[in-house]
Amino acid sequence: MGQFLQFAINGLMSGAIYALIAVGIVSVFKATKVVNFAHGYVIMVGAYFYYTFAVLIPGAEWAPNWLAAWQPGWLVEMREGLPMFSPMGAVLDWVQNLPRIALGLAGAVLANAALGLVIERTLMRPLMGQSVFAMIMITVGLISILAGAVQLVWTADADFVPHIAPNTPVRFDVGETTIFLFGADIVNMVVALLIFAAIVAMVRFTKSGVAIRATAEDQSTAYSMGISVPKVFSRAWMLAAATGAVAGAILATRNGISPSLGLFGFSVLAIVLMGGLDSYVGVLIAALAVGVLEAMTQWQLGGDWAEIVPYVAVLIVILIRPHGLFGQKEVERI
Amino acid sequence: MITGNLKASYAADEQVFDNRNKRAFLYAALLGLAALAGFADDYVILVACQMGILLIAVVGVNVVTGYTGLISLGHAAFVAVGAYTVTIFHEAFAGAIPEGLRALIAIPVAMAVSALVGIIVGLPSLRVKGLYLAVATLSANFIVIFLIEQEVFAPWTGGMVGIDTPAPDFLGWTLDTKREMFVLIAALGVLTLLAVQNLFRTRVGRAFIAIRDRDYSAEIMGISLLRTKLTSFAISAALCGLSGALFAYFYARILPEQFELALSLELVAAMIVGGMGRTMGPVFGVAVIVMVPEVIKSIFGVATGGEAGVAQLLAPLQEIAFGLLIVLFLLFEPLGLNHMADRALRALNRWPFAR
Amino acid sequence: MLSVSDLHLSFGGIKALQGVSFEAAPGEITGVIGPNGAGKTSLFNAISGFYTPDRGRVAFDGRDITGLSPDRRAGLGMARTFQNIALFRGMTVLDNIKLGGHTRLSANVWQALAYFGPARREELAFRAEIEERVIDFLEIDHIRKAPITALPYGLQKRVELGRALAMQPKVLMLDEPVAGMNREETADMARFILDVQEEFGTTILLVEHDMGLVMDICAHIVVLNFGQQIAAGTPAEVARDDEVIEAYLGAAA
Repeated sequence: MGQFLQFAINGLMSGAIYALIAVGIVSVFKATKVVNFAHGYVIMVGAYFYYTFAVLIPGAEWAPNWLAAWQPGWLVEMREGLPMFSPMGAVLDWVQNLPRIALGLAGAVLANAALGLVIERTLMRPLMGQSVFAMIMITVGLISILAGAVQLVWTADADFVPHIAPNTPVRFDVGETTIFLFGADIVNMVVALLIFAAIVAMVRFTKSGVAIRATAEDQSTAYSMGISVPKVFSRAWMLAAATGAVAGAILATRNGISPSLGLFGFSVLAIVLMGGLDSYVGVLIAALAVGVLEAMTQWQLGGDWAEIVPYVAVLIVILIRPHGLFGQKEVERI
Repeated sequence: MITGNLKASYAADEQVFDNRNKRAFLYAALLGLAALAGFADDYVILVACQMGILLIAVVGVNVVTGYTGLISLGHAAFVAVGAYTVTIFHEAFAGAIPEGLRALIAIPVAMAVSALVGIIVGLPSLRVKGLYLAVATLSANFIVIFLIEQEVFAPWTGGMVGIDTPAPDFLGWTLDTKREMFVLIAALGVLTLLAVQNLFRTRVGRAFIAIRDRDYSAEIMGISLLRTKLTSFAISAALCGLSGALFAYFYARILPEQFELALSLELVAAMIVGGMGRTMGPVFGVAVIVMVPEVIKSIFGVATGGEAGVAQLLAPLQEIAFGLLIVLFLLFEPLGLNHMADRALRALNRWPFAR
Repeated sequence: MLSVSDLHLSFGGIKALQGVSFEAAPGEITGVIGPNGAGKTSLFNAISGFYTPDRGRVAFDGRDITGLSPDRRAGLGMARTFQNIALFRGMTVLDNIKLGGHTRLSANVWQALAYFGPARREELAFRAEIEERVIDFLEIDHIRKAPITALPYGLQKRVELGRALAMQPKVLMLDEPVAGMNREETADMARFILDVQEEFGTTILLVEHDMGLVMDICAHIVVLNFGQQIAAGTPAEVARDDEVIEAYLGAAA
């Protein structure tokens, strides 16, 4: 039972991050009807931006020392006499890293939003109003471009990035067994779910959210009602890329930074289809379910079997419920 | 100058090579292949073999994506199934079947197994449209590679480190040189192109295109979406299986990583560059895709004078080039090189009076 | 030949059809008319199998076909055209028409891949047939190799009719065959429809807004309004019907 709970919680924590990745795919789909197959690679680039702003720039010779390691007097004082690996030590490590984490997140979000804008303007905009098939295929081409570009700019070597929250171990007992968690993982999950909720609220309640929904309903009608459809498109792409940057940063803190981060996009694509493409709630549930399922698989069958869980799950779901667990069947007009 | 396309019978009108320029190209192409087999140096043969193997797979992708309109991003999986099937077949029937017959049986078996896997993967296409299928095929690609890599199947597949494939032997003729392999690959490549061209001038192939163009209208013509999509998938996967079989024989060693998503994307890139839904499209596309690394290599050779660090950059540059080719062709010439060639041919037919 | 009895169809709360019953007599032209939104196209979609009715049945040649898929119905000998032309846009006129022969040809995958032999014989015989029965018949021989997208609207409508004729259907359903056509094109189309009936003895069911055309060529007319069948009979009977006049001209008339 305790083991089960431990793995279930681990699963929920990675599920929340899947949900954060998924929100980008769903938002772009809602606004533009294009499924971005390259979203995982957009996220990967976001992760590399975080790496650049949080590791490479602070580590550069010209960067001020406080950026790499902020050590005000009180911090040094507090650190005196602390044992290794103490919870307080982890918090202090985090405080010391705070400047570069902040720079990293801000830089990654801005740079990635710009990337989203560039992709929309140069690749998607010229095809607007034409076949969705071509637009989807362009995102497929984008996979190769982004994957190659990252290896060219940052090389394929793996590296580590600072956690966005203090990584103190958290321990508590449930019945007989001890549940063992890390502070950073908990914060990651909370951040992911908050961003997810914020986006759902935005789409539901704000004016630009209404514009997105109207565009999703009928592009030409939205256009004629005075909604600037191109603007909706570029906003959706920027939003997806910006949330993707946060997701990428979190993924990089968990898995280290390497070009293989892009592959997460494909598992999340599977999740999005399971949830039903246009349903935020469905996608959230699917993301959490797959997270838990992966953790259970890891527990029962071993780590590597977990990697195909989303793919097997999506095949099963598509066969049983073609429009996803919560998606709506579109009535076709003939 | 060919002034008009005038025919005296419907049979003449239904021909594929329906004017003398087209026939001239056909004969020139066949002669060219024969000349390659006879006189080309080893490096050219090597590149030509790569093209031939890739060509058959791209024709396969073209059947399902180009003609039937179902996006597939996982056809590398079918190539893998073909490659591993022949290899395992040779191992399993080493004693039971005489050596001269083994490859003759192994190749059709590989195609059949790939077709079967294709039908299973294609099942979601019955229920929902293109997009879901793209993800289903993508998933199948990951799952197939994953299974091949598993320790459990390692005795048959060799796991992560790969496995050796013996040289094929056709009734006593062992194809143990690349030049002999080229003869086989070229013959099967030409045959594949002809068979697919035939397919699309009969009811079977027309039904594929009908589904791509307007599925409900196809239904009203009496075309069963279910059966037709699966047929398309089976043919497509079988061709990829054939390509995989040749791949295994040609490289004599196969590794799971050779059949990952990158290969699927390469196949899609070749199809788009060449021209989706056109018989000769894959030929053009494959020529470009196979030449890309060569061109990058030679550019770097000139620019850096052959430095050692360049090899490291080759893979990412090649990847970017594939992606750019997909994107640029979709943006600027969605009908692909085949369309450009068509225009050139038309100009030639009318030469010297019009362009 | 084709009969519909007590057909009910709804989308969510919208009742598209409420108890439509009629019969299209063999070899006759039956017209379905009604104001916009009366449910005419829904009726067609239910008859050709795209929508499953909530209640009632569709029978063809004495056989209940209510549960059959559209492609099975086509195989039995039902052909139709669409209101907004549903041709295969990536193909030539000839290929579009050839698709009409799908159920009548029989080459399998192996024969198709080999071509020479049964597939070739069959294709050539079929080609000769459609040249005579469709292309010459509809006077479209000058455009047979033209891509669909290059054709004007009126010709596209005619090609769609041709594609349906290539099926050699027992029942031909035409959804607004002359919508958007000028007087001359309408007259041409009317002539072709009458020729089809006369030459091939095809049972024809058509939905149309052009009252003149319907009154001229139909032997029997069914009138729908808000999904309900308000009248049925010969053109003369229907034209006298008070409810029909009210539906078309409003209560004040």
